[in-house]
Amino acid sequence: MIDAMREAATTLENRFVREWKEAGGKVVGYSCTFIPEEILHAAGLLPFRLRGIGTTSLSIGDSYYGAVNCSVPKCILQLAGQGSYGFLDGSIVTNGCDSMRRLDECWRTAGRDYPGTLPGYHGYFAVPHKSVDYSVAFYEEELKRMKEALEGHFGVTVSDRALRASISLYNEGRKALQKLDGLRLRRETAISGEDAMAVLIAAHAMPLDRFIRSLEELTAKLERSPSLSNGKKRLLLMGSASDDLDFIRVIEESGAIVVADTVCYGSRTYGSLVDEQADPLHALSSHYLGNSICPRMLGYYGSRRSFVSGVIEKGAVDGVILQNVRFCDLHGSENSIFERDLEARGIPCMRIEREYGPLSETGRIRMRIDAFMERISQAASTPAV
Amino acid sequence: MKKETSEYPFDWMLWSSVMSGSKVLDGTRKEYEALLRVIPHFRGVIDLLLSQGETGRLFMRMGAEYLDDIKTVREKGKKLCFGTFVAAKTLFFAFDNVVPVWAEVMTVFASILFRKGTAEYMDYCCEAGFTETSCSAQRGSVGAYLAGLAERPDFLVCGASGICDTNANAVQFMSEYLGIPLFQLTFPSKLTGREIDEYQRRDYRALISFVEEHAGTRLDEGRLKSVLEEHRRQDELINEIHDLARLKPCPMPPIHNLFLYAGKLQMPGRKSFTAVLESMLHDVRKNAEAGRAGTSSGRERARLLMCYIDHYTTDGRFWEWMDANDISLLPTLIFTFFNKGAPYARGREDQTYGIDTSTMDAMLDSLADINAHMPMVKQLRGPYDAAGQWREDLFQMTGLMQPDLTVYLGSMGCRNSYGANKLIERDAERSGLPALLLFADAFDDRVASWEFCQDKISEFMHVRGILS
Repeated sequence: MIDAMREAATTLENRFVREWKEAGGKVVGYSCTFIPEEILHAAGLLPFRLRGIGTTSLSIGDSYYGAVNCSVPKCILQLAGQGSYGFLDGSIVTNGCDSMRRLDECWRTAGRDYPGTLPGYHGYFAVPHKSVDYSVAFYEEELKRMKEALEGHFGVTVSDRALRASISLYNEGRKALQKLDGLRLRRETAISGEDAMAVLIAAHAMPLDRFIRSLEELTAKLERSPSLSNGKKRLLLMGSASDDLDFIRVIEESGAIVVADTVCYGSRTYGSLVDEQADPLHALSSHYLGNSICPRMLGYYGSRRSFVSGVIEKGAVDGVILQNVRFCDLHGSENSIFERDLEARGIPCMRIEREYGPLSETGRIRMRIDAFMERISQAASTPAV
Repeated sequence: MKKETSEYPFDWMLWSSVMSGSKVLDGTRKEYEALLRVIPHFRGVIDLLLSQGETGRLFMRMGAEYLDDIKTVREKGKKLCFGTFVAAKTLFFAFDNVVPVWAEVMTVFASILFRKGTAEYMDYCCEAGFTETSCSAQRGSVGAYLAGLAERPDFLVCGASGICDTNANAVQFMSEYLGIPLFQLTFPSKLTGREIDEYQRRDYRALISFVEEHAGTRLDEGRLKSVLEEHRRQDELINEIHDLARLKPCPMPPIHNLFLYAGKLQMPGRKSFTAVLESMLHDVRKNAEAGRAGTSSGRERARLLMCYIDHYTTDGRFWEWMDANDISLLPTLIFTFFNKGAPYARGREDQTYGIDTSTMDAMLDSLADINAHMPMVKQLRGPYDAAGQWREDLFQMTGLMQPDLTVYLGSMGCRNSYGANKLIERDAERSGLPALLLFADAFDDRVASWEFCQDKISEFMHVRGILS
């Protein structure tokens, strides 16, 4: 089952998507964790998290974006422009960050230059940047509008009942992922960070019911599997969007095991459950806007630090890698505050800026990680005075 | 940071320079010329400002008053509020014990007046933990605050969340780094609509509660009314100046563009800015009546619309160059202020704010509405081609002001505008307006020198046959 998940994590139009399409299903791509997949699911659509994997050029991305924009949306636009997202029936772009929000107009413009590359349904969805009563109410209204737009375009009705069923299913998925987290954080970890990341990515790249079944089988197997820890240093990976399994492999080849993460595409989406008793749209609004792991939610550093401290403690983390994609100021600057605060508590941190996309900087990254591992090992072997 | 840079407080140095500069014409011409010899690094800008006669002198005095408020904040027992330019200062002037200081205003002062601009303060930010690609407009002054080289603010306010990540992030970083409380105003992506107004007004009331809590005083109704009425008077003057700027030749001197928006960002609702505007209007009217351009020669060879922001290179050479080359500088696109009477808002009244001083509630709503139409907050909150956003404003201004070309200039931190500036360029060109994207930084000459920018603009105008 891990092989199927790895396939879903490393290819865009994976076999689950193909099967879904062959059965007449529609697929809607979305750009950010602040889009409730439940609504898409309740509309009978397959939610698919947009990614920029496998790009070998930015010729299209750079034609619309400026030089100082992040490579994540540029890679997505590149794939869209070259037709790799031809399987999408819809796309939704949010104001997750300033580079990502411009994917909306860049894609629409590219869609005119490269006919057929903009899905039939395309929407811009604005998410507030704070979680207070009036922003939750505002977001709920936006969700309602998105639901109606999807209903209108795809000719479906999203009933409250369907929405409740989807919320329930997605909560089931969250619980399954929480269980996986529990296994990752154990002293004797039976899954590599690379494989765990494949699972997390697959959660948003295949039908959820199939994902849950596969994950349950996987966790049952992991509970009986031998430990991979073997004295390896236990790392927490934090920061910008990261869905490159090779990046984690490079980290783990240095004698570490990534036991937890807070990266976008990683473990951000299942820390808590959606309220199944409340009005469905209100419950979704409160849940999604209450998620402050992403620094786009300005003013919530304190709660992010508490969350991270909890993970470090539970996972007996030896060190933290704070990475940011170049031009990601939100993560980049906050990483330095995390570094200050975590180092003050004696937790070694490594800050690194990198490019998104095919791992073109393996040598540099490997060297930095090797040096970090050396530092952690020395710290561990130095007797306390 | 070099020892000599950290020798004196940043805000004191600005205060000292501008306060002295504002007095130079109080003496004799001979004394003024003698003074220019001892200020080689900003003699050009002093000369340029004071060549504007009474208007230049009033502008300098307004700047001196602004910096004096900051310098004397402690001795007067007031609270210092640090923020960024997207938050309207009008509210803060309605508190008698709050002095607002805005990052970008301080950066621009220092960029123009200091020999090496603000490079060392910018770099200090990166040492403290900012990314190198964070916006120079904030880094240019925030570095001084992080380094303890300026009066420590009592609280922080930012209005860029939902508008500009890097701007909002700079103040967020400052809050965490220095341990100072912060309020972030946030904005939806749409500009108009009942639910948008409601959201913004509620958020603004939360800001007022925050300010009251940290200032330790209540917002005074009488004072607020007086500030808002002054603000309205200023808007009327700005509207008339911008209306006259439509004439060919444009009767507004290039540097007046700076006077107008710098005043709006420094002293909205304060009498010193009204005095500047009245004097500006007098100059612009006089030029218009004489059929003269606002340039020193009185001629206009080209009309330039900066479709984002101006260039704040050392010694104010940007405006000096425009003037020396007889280029009329039309109102910079981002620094338009969409009150109900603005000439560029005609037919788009739903995108404007009004000022209603009839009740306290009406005034609070007016404050929120003013803030929702601040530079960038209006134009960059949503998709560039949505109603009331960047593209529509560019086309509206182009129709009104008849520029010969438009130039984009921003900063390396500007993800939001860089994500759409190629689309803007393309749309402008397709509509027949020559458009130039400058890869430079308005606040950091190290990215590309002003001479480089100047050459690019000159060559562009030559190649496109723009200069008459």
